[in-house]
This record gives sequence, structure tokens and C-alpha cells, in this order.
Amino acid sequence: MSKTILTIFKKELKDTIRDRRTLMAMVVMPMLLMPVMTIGMFKFMEYQVEKQGEKVVKISIIEKGEAPALIEMIKNQEKIEIVETDGEIKDAVTNGDLDLGIIIPENFQENIDDQEVANITIIQKSTDIDSGSALARISFLVANFNDQLLQERFADQEINPEILSKVIIIPEDVATEKETGGFLLGLIIPLFIVMWAITGGQYTAIDVSAGEKERKTLESLLLTPVKRMDIVFGKFLTVSAVALTSVIVAIGSFYVALIYSGGFGSMMQDGQSSGAEGIVESAAINFSIEPQAVLLLLAVSLFLVLMFSAIILSIAIFAKSFKEAQSYIGPSYLVVILPVVLVNSMPGFEPTLWFFAIPAVNATLLFKEVLMGVYDSGHILLTLSSLIVYSVIAIFIATKIYSKEGVLFRD
Amino acid sequence: MSILSVKNLTKEFKNFKAVDGVSFDVGEGEIFGLLGPNGAGKTTIIRIIATVLAPTRGTVEVLGFDIIKNSEEVRKNIGVLTTDIGVYERFSGRENLRYFGELYGLSKEVLEKRINELSNLLEMRDFIDRKAGKYSTGMKQKLAIARSVIHDPKVLIFDEPTAGLDVLASQTVLNFMRQSKKPGGCVIFSTHQMHDAEKLCDRVVIIHKGKVIANDKVEALKSKTSSDYLEDVFMKMMRV
Ligand SMILES: Nc1ncnc2c1ncn2[C@@H]1O[C@H](COP(=O)(O)OP(=O)(O)OP(=O)(O)O)[C@@H](O)[C@H]1O
Ligand SMILES: [Mg+2]
Repeated sequence: MSKTILTIFKKELKDTIRDRRTLMAMVVMPMLLMPVMTIGMFKFMEYQVEKQGEKVVKISIIEKGEAPALIEMIKNQEKIEIVETDGEIKDAVTNGDLDLGIIIPENFQENIDDQEVANITIIQKSTDIDSGSALARISFLVANFNDQLLQERFADQEINPEILSKVIIIPEDVATEKETGGFLLGLIIPLFIVMWAITGGQYTAIDVSAGEKERKTLESLLLTPVKRMDIVFGKFLTVSAVALTSVIVAIGSFYVALIYSGGFGSMMQDGQSSGAEGIVESAAINFSIEPQAVLLLLAVSLFLVLMFSAIILSIAIFAKSFKEAQSYIGPSYLVVILPVVLVNSMPGFEPTLWFFAIPAVNATLLFKEVLMGVYDSGHILLTLSSLIVYSVIAIFIATKIYSKEGVLFRD
Repeated sequence: MSILSVKNLTKEFKNFKAVDGVSFDVGEGEIFGLLGPNGAGKTTIIRIIATVLAPTRGTVEVLGFDIIKNSEEVRKNIGVLTTDIGVYERFSGRENLRYFGELYGLSKEVLEKRINELSNLLEMRDFIDRKAGKYSTGMKQKLAIARSVIHDPKVLIFDEPTAGLDVLASQTVLNFMRQSKKPGGCVIFSTHQMHDAEKLCDRVVIIHKGKVIANDKVEALKSKTSSDYLEDVFMKMMRV
């Protein structure tokens, strides 16, 4: 590396660090925002599920016919309050006065006595969480009621109720604790790295290029005999250093927060039945990541940071002012993050090889694999080499732009 | 032999000709005035010589180096102060100068010595270690001048160096320019202060609407237009 690149790198780094906004973007934000956001989100979800389990739902029963046994059972059920409704029951459910309406038809009890099919109608609002819990609880209760009914009938006919034994599922997860932990981390860490690789150095990138143009110091820099390539490289290294710092700070602080907050809590909630019983099982995650995984994460992060820094810097160099640069870079952020979020959140997504040539997407997919203990050398090589190619192209473009006078004195 | 030679220089911005076939030569040891009304094209000419703008046609040779083919050599040998130029505000004056000194490849001892020398010559001692962001216009201008000559170049090109300076500071800068004139080099001085130009310049070129309308010794121009002051020469030339 030439001495001038080092001179420019040192100066730009010193310059940008003296700016409070850089420190905010590089250290403070990633240190606070990420752990607070994610862990806060999990805690909130946990709290919601718990609260839902505790919630007393309001149910109204319209008895067109009699159903003493069933109603007795509902009345004895905890956390269900039976209320009277005058007027249309559908309206009450619609406007939320009521969580659930049960209509018992005229000949309900007769049908049961005759051992025929008996219906009840349930009026619910699927978009309402409380209504959902009420439905889940009533379904659970009706299932019990049916079992009881059958048992009675068998008893009447002197049949052993044992024959009622049905198939019961005993879940046993072959995924190791490490895999489930890796899976959950795989949902979050890749997003983090990509996000901070873009945003961490963004302010600095604009500051050293468009900012320098706006403050009119760029011309004096271009008056020196320093090669344009060296100027771009020095600035590029600065942006990369800042972005890499923010990535490392974000992951580090997230990791620490994870340990102190005791894992993800309700993420491993049993059953998806929106909490009839609201079984909340706190599953502390085993995130014993192997050293080679950490190394690979860092290596890919590094190249990801290099690529984004180069791209953002060339956009910012092209811009005339700070504002203009921001308005270019803002939307480009979305272009990158959207596909990343998509492949990240698509369940059971099986990427074909060429996905590992798409910038940012490739890193996201690779991070996920590595966190789950999968090392595919083809994926690793393609990801690293494509990131390097994109970085080189972006740097080349940035240098070309600096060599063009029009960019310096653009109207 | 001329130190700096402008050859048939033309610069077009979009469809506008800012510089139109300008030629002049500056000899060794000369302080050369580049005069002209607002918008004449002076700053544009200086930026082309400094290699930050490319000419549309024509070229310039500085100490025999062509600005297009040998731009790096040209930049090494000239010190340029353009108008409307900024300093790094989060750095002190000294840090600003150090950065540029390093970019010009000066060794540490030479650089520190040069910084102290310039700080004395331009009377910057009182503020050189303060943050440049807090400087007044005049302090910034002095820092910009010191920065442009940090590498002790042979050829100095100053575009309105006294703009925004008080009488005392102007005097300091003018004296500095006088002292900067050295064997094997020259000083080009662009200004609106006819009084300063008259005191300092051996020869002047007057640019009007991108064209050279006069190129002579100050005394010769005065007698040609039968004026007592350069300012009158200027007024008379503008009228034609
Ligand atoms: N980047 C540019 N794009 C378009 N036109 C420009 C550009 N730079 C300068 N010009 C135009 O070129 C002409 C000459 O400008 P220049 O700055 O060289 O004048 P000047 O002689 O230095 O004037 P002043 O004494 O006011 O500083 C002006 O009309 C100006 O508007
Ligand atoms: Mg000018």
C-alpha cells in the first residue's frame, strides 16, 4: 500500500471520528439499537403470549335449544366469562363487545340423546386476537366434551372406554440445541450484519466525499500530486473501517445482551394454537459457535463491508452535496435490504447455487448455513469471490468518477 | 525562456465559452498580473493550469511540463490558491498543513520547519494551533495560502489572495508574494485590487469575456493609454 493512501486513511479516520455523528453511527447506535430492538421484541412477544393466556374472554350463549351439560362445562371453565347480549350477537362480536358467540340450535340435546350429530354455531372474528383465544379455548373444551360423551355412551353399552385411546403424538426434535439456536440466530444475525455493513459507514462515506466537495476542500486535495486512485482508496479504507467497526460492535453487543437476558424466551413456544393454554417455555439458546464459524462470519462480513463501502462511496462521490448523496443512498438501501429480508424469512427456502452470486443475499444465506453448522465449500468460495469482484468493480467506478472534472465542478 | 506558457487556451462549459483562445507567457522571476472584470475567465484559466479542469482546446506548459500529458509533474511544481476554497474545520491549522505536507511527500523535519516558517511569514502563530472551524475569514485565507505553498513550489498562482483580508493582513500577504518570487520560478497574481497589482506586478494581462485584450508591462500600458494609474488603464480598456 502506498504511503499516501495511508496518509489519507489516517487523516480521514481522525477527521470522521472527531465528528460526533460518526461515533453515533459507528458505535453508539449499533451498540444500543440492535440489542434493545431484538431482545425487546422477543420480550414483548413473550409478554403478549403470557398476557393472552391470562386474559378472561367474554362469551355469549344463545340457547335456542337446551344444552345443560355443555353449558355447565363452559361455566366451569376458567378465564371464560359468560355475558348476556341483547341485540344481534354478530354485531357484538364485530364491534368487540363480545369475543365469541355460541348458538345452540333447538334440537341440540335431542340429537345428542338420539346419538346423532349435533351442531353448535360459533361466531368469531378471526382478525381479533382475543376472539382467537376464545375460539381455541372453546374448541379444546368441546373436544373434551365429546370425549366425555363418548365415554358415557360406551359405559352405557358396557364397552371398555379404553378402545377410545387414540393416537397421541409425542414430539421429539432431532435438531440439536445448537441447530435450533443457530436457526434462531440465523434469522437475526445475517440481517444485522447486512444492515450495519450498509448503514455503519454511510455517514462517513458521504462526509469524506460529497461532504468534502460541499465544504470546498476537495479542490485543494485534487491540487496535490497525489494519484486519484490513492485518494479514492484512502477514503474507501476509512469507510470500510468505520462500517466494519459498527458491524462488530452490533454483533458483540447483541451477543452480550443475549447472554444477560437469558435467551429468546417465548420463541420456542409450544404449539401454534395462539395460546389456548399459552404454554410458554423459556428456551435458553445454546449458541456455542465454533471458532471456524466465527472466522468465516468475520471474513464474509469483511468482504460484505468492503463491497458496500465501495458502492456507497462511489454514489456519494458522484453526488454534489450531502443532501443529494443522502437522497441517492436512502433508496438504494431498500433495494439491498428487501431481497435479503425475503430470502431470510422465507421458511424452507432452498437456494440454488447462483443465489450465492447475488451480493448481500449470498452473505445472508451463507451466514445462515454457517450458524447451523453447514460448511459448503462451493457456497463459501462463490460468495467470497463474487463479493470481491463486486468490490473491485465499485472501486474502479469510484476512481473513474474522481478523475472526471465534471464531478468536481458539476452544475 | 518562459516558466509558464499558455497556448491558445479555450474552455467551453456546455455551450458557453468561458475562455476563448487565450495565450500568454510568464518569464522567470516575474510577478505576473491576471486582471479582468467579474466573469472574465480568470479563475477558469487558473483551474486549467492547476489541472483540476481540462481545457477544451489548447494547452499550458509549466516548466516544460504539459498540463495534460504530465499533470502530476505540473501539480508538484505549482502552488495554487483558488478562490472560495475550504479548510478542514475539525483540524487545527497545523494539522491541516501537516496533512498537505505529507501528501506532497515532505519529510517530517522539513515539514515542521516549513510550517513554522510559514506561520511566521504569514503571522499565523496566534491561531495556528486552534481548530480551523473557528477561524475568521482572514485566518482561513492565510491558512489556505500557507497550504498552497507548503511544498515550496517554483510557480505560485494566487487567485484573489487578499479577498476578505484587512489592510494589515493584505500587506502581509503581498509581502509574502514578493518574497516568494525566486529564481527558476514565477508568481501569477489575479486580483481586483488595481492598486495592489500596480505595486506588485512586473507585467499584466487583461482578460475580458474570455479573451486577452492587453498583455504588457504596467508602465507601457499606462503610457499607451496615457493614464496615471493602472485603474484608469483598466477602465479605458473595458470601454472599448
Ligand atoms: N463549472 C462551470 N460551469 C459553467 N460555467 C462556468 C463554470 N465555472 C465558471 N463558469 C462561467 O465561466 C465564466 C468565467 O468564470 P470565472 O470564474 O473564470 O471568472 P473570473 O474571471 O474568475 O470572475 P471573478 O472575477 O468574478 O472571480 C463565468 O461566466 C462563469 O459563469
Ligand atoms: Mg474568479
